[in-house]
Amino acid sequence: MVNAPRIPSDVPRPPAHVRRNRVLMIAGVVLLVALFVLALVTMNLPTWQRFVNGMQRNFWPLMRGLVRPETEVFGLAWRSMSETFFMAILGTALGALLAFPISFFAAGNLLGGTRWALPGKALLVAIRTFPELVLAIIFVAAAGPGPTAGIMAMGIHSIGYLGKVFSDVIEGIDQGPMEAIRAAGGNQLHTFLYSVVPQVLPEFASHVLYRFEINLRAATVLGMVGAGGIGLPLIQRLQFRRWDEVSMLLIVIVGFIIVVDAVSSRVRNRLV
Amino acid sequence: MPEASSLPRPPAAGRIKAALTVALFAALFVLAFRQTGFNFQALFSGTADFFRFFGRLVPDWSALPQIWPPLIQTIQIAYVATIVGSLLAMPIVFLASSNTSTDPVTLWIARTLLTVLRSIPDLLWAALFVAVLGLGALPGVVALVFFTMGVLAKLGSETVEAIDPGPLEALRAAGAGRNRTIVFAVVPQVAATMVSYILYVFEINVRASVVIGLVGAGGIGQLLLRYLNFFDYTGVAAIIVVIFAVVLLIDGFSVWARSKLI
Amino acid sequence: MAHIRFNDVEVVYRTGLKALKGVTLEIPRGQFVVVVGLSGAGKSTLIRTVNSLVVPTKGSVTVNDVNVTASRGGALRRARSDIGMIFQTFNLVKRSSVLRNVLAGRLGDLPAWRGVLGAFPREDVAYAHDCLARVGIPEKAFVRADALSGGQQQRVGIARALAQKPSVMLADEPVASLDPPTSHAVMSDLKRIAREDGITTIVNLHFIDMARDYADRIIGMRDGVVVFDGTPDEATDAVFEEIYGRPLESKDLRGA
Ligand SMILES: Nc1ncnc2c1ncn2[C@@H]1O[C@H](COP(=O)(O)OP(=O)(O)OP(=O)(O)O)[C@@H](O)[C@H]1O
Ligand SMILES: [Mg+2]
Repeated sequence: MVNAPRIPSDVPRPPAHVRRNRVLMIAGVVLLVALFVLALVTMNLPTWQRFVNGMQRNFWPLMRGLVRPETEVFGLAWRSMSETFFMAILGTALGALLAFPISFFAAGNLLGGTRWALPGKALLVAIRTFPELVLAIIFVAAAGPGPTAGIMAMGIHSIGYLGKVFSDVIEGIDQGPMEAIRAAGGNQLHTFLYSVVPQVLPEFASHVLYRFEINLRAATVLGMVGAGGIGLPLIQRLQFRRWDEVSMLLIVIVGFIIVVDAVSSRVRNRLV
Repeated sequence: MPEASSLPRPPAAGRIKAALTVALFAALFVLAFRQTGFNFQALFSGTADFFRFFGRLVPDWSALPQIWPPLIQTIQIAYVATIVGSLLAMPIVFLASSNTSTDPVTLWIARTLLTVLRSIPDLLWAALFVAVLGLGALPGVVALVFFTMGVLAKLGSETVEAIDPGPLEALRAAGAGRNRTIVFAVVPQVAATMVSYILYVFEINVRASVVIGLVGAGGIGQLLLRYLNFFDYTGVAAIIVVIFAVVLLIDGFSVWARSKLI
Repeated sequence: MAHIRFNDVEVVYRTGLKALKGVTLEIPRGQFVVVVGLSGAGKSTLIRTVNSLVVPTKGSVTVNDVNVTASRGGALRRARSDIGMIFQTFNLVKRSSVLRNVLAGRLGDLPAWRGVLGAFPREDVAYAHDCLARVGIPEKAFVRADALSGGQQQRVGIARALAQKPSVMLADEPVASLDPPTSHAVMSDLKRIAREDGITTIVNLHFIDMARDYADRIIGMRDGVVVFDGTPDEATDAVFEEIYGRPLESKDLRGA
């Protein structure tokens, strides 16, 4: 080429802020790695040997089970999974039903100012933060084991998420139609029924469906604490390391969830 | 006023569809009530029992010294799993994105793997690895590594598929191979979003790491289980309050850090 | 000896559309060729067959007697690293620094591990700075690409292509997103650099006046066929009306 290569020593130095960012970046990575190493040594993980032993003893039997699952438990797996499915439906419905009224008290634009919505928003955060499984344990302890405990745990916990997204949707609605109803002499209730509800319903439905996908996953494990569904037969077989039966249950769970997800996300895409 | 019958009616197709939808939902709910034995009486009595039980949950703060060590372990489990899981998720992210994958077969395999990973909930991973590896923090970490991979790879590949294709084409035209194209044209475009997702996954992992202890995968959940088994409800209450505070704190930190990023 | 050779190149897109219908051309080393034609005539398609971004369904393109069309994998990447490309929409990584964008042009010649780690040798970094100096924006090296004006971004695009030390330069409507004065500045930079380094250049342009100002040779395309091939002097208004299949309009001129 025409250009003679230059002497590398006169490459311009990056300006100070670029160098500073580079140093900060490296410092950040070093900190992350240091914390990682610190965590590894202080959390008293078992020895590598135990890890290898566990894998040797149980991993291959599990893999063998996945290739050749115990078909005799298919009936049980299918029944428990459909119970799980229906638990998720009822839990989601309960959550949506309860979240619907609450969400209006967490939407600033309907209450005439963000600060009036703060208590409602705080309540929703509190509900979201409370782990669902702990709720389930409390329900089981209070009202006995079974699907009802799981449905109620899911229902309560879902309020947190659904209430939040519902109120976000409400805060984002178009004010025009509301004014139009008011201008036509409608009262608060008319405004609500004829302009707020129709605007928010499709999006609400889409969020409810999404929550249903999450709840279906949650419902598969609630049984591990006695709150109904496929979790109970699964954890029993896990405790006795019946890998061939565990595999059958796993296959049904994964297959079921994948199919429901596919259907649900297709419906959601058509809703919005 | 016109006779009712002469009013135009909505088109038949729409009516049939609406009727079918209502019928489908009605059937689903009837089945659901039957299959689960759920009814409104149970709902009300359950709620009453719940509040009665809740009344007994008075925190006993003398349990605090016992709570700290497993609480710290819970956060450590979440932290280690987030880092390892995020690193392992990266190759899947690029192989499962149509614009950065190597070939259609690999793309399909990576996506299928991702779908399966994503369909398994955190607690199920935990129960599985407790059975494989025994009680303790180890199965907790391994479980959350898999869980992280599922969540992050999905979010990540959606981000990668949405990037500006221009720089990709420019680098391809300049003769750069796939790996270099990813490093130079894709990573700069997605890095900030990815870091924000990793923070978000850390947030989820802290919540998950609290509950996986309930099936024996280490951390505060395991202590909670012990208190529950001994009907030590004041200890349970103390743990619940502490969990509540920690989760709020970490959520707050994560939201703050993510707002700094973008 | 021809530097770039199109041998009866035909491109049929998957939609069934025949975008090039047997193009044969020889372009000698160092020539500055401008391709003109209406939208949809096949200009972009023609340019993209040179670096195999579009693979001809029939015929072949050779650069330096290397059959690019038949090259795959490493051979194709080597061929491409000798061919710079400039895009209408610049195609910069907006969140990366200008320098890093220019360095991307060096990737093709770099050992794998260096490319992936981004560990460029000092000579390459120095060369990237030189390229920026040659397009007149040496002071922008450490600025993020999205902080530049359109004209400056296109200069980064040129610098990136230049960093490849190419023997061929392709430019697909490089000034279509720029205002008239900037268009002329960018085009004269491109022409000057091509001249200085003896780079064979193919540029797609919409504007008649710019084509006449900068071209050594003008190629007119219509419906996937070369309908004119001659010097700027031969490319009269009548010839352009023939290429465009309609009377000339003011929008066919960029103006000064
Ligand atoms: N990827 C593709 N798939 C299918 N058809 C395409 C594709 N790219 C271009 N075409 C079609 O091929 C024909 C030629 O397109 P090309 O982009 O080469 O035209 P052009 O002369 O560059 O036009 P413009 O001035 O608008 O850029 C057009 O009819 C176009 O619609
Ligand atoms: Mg074009």
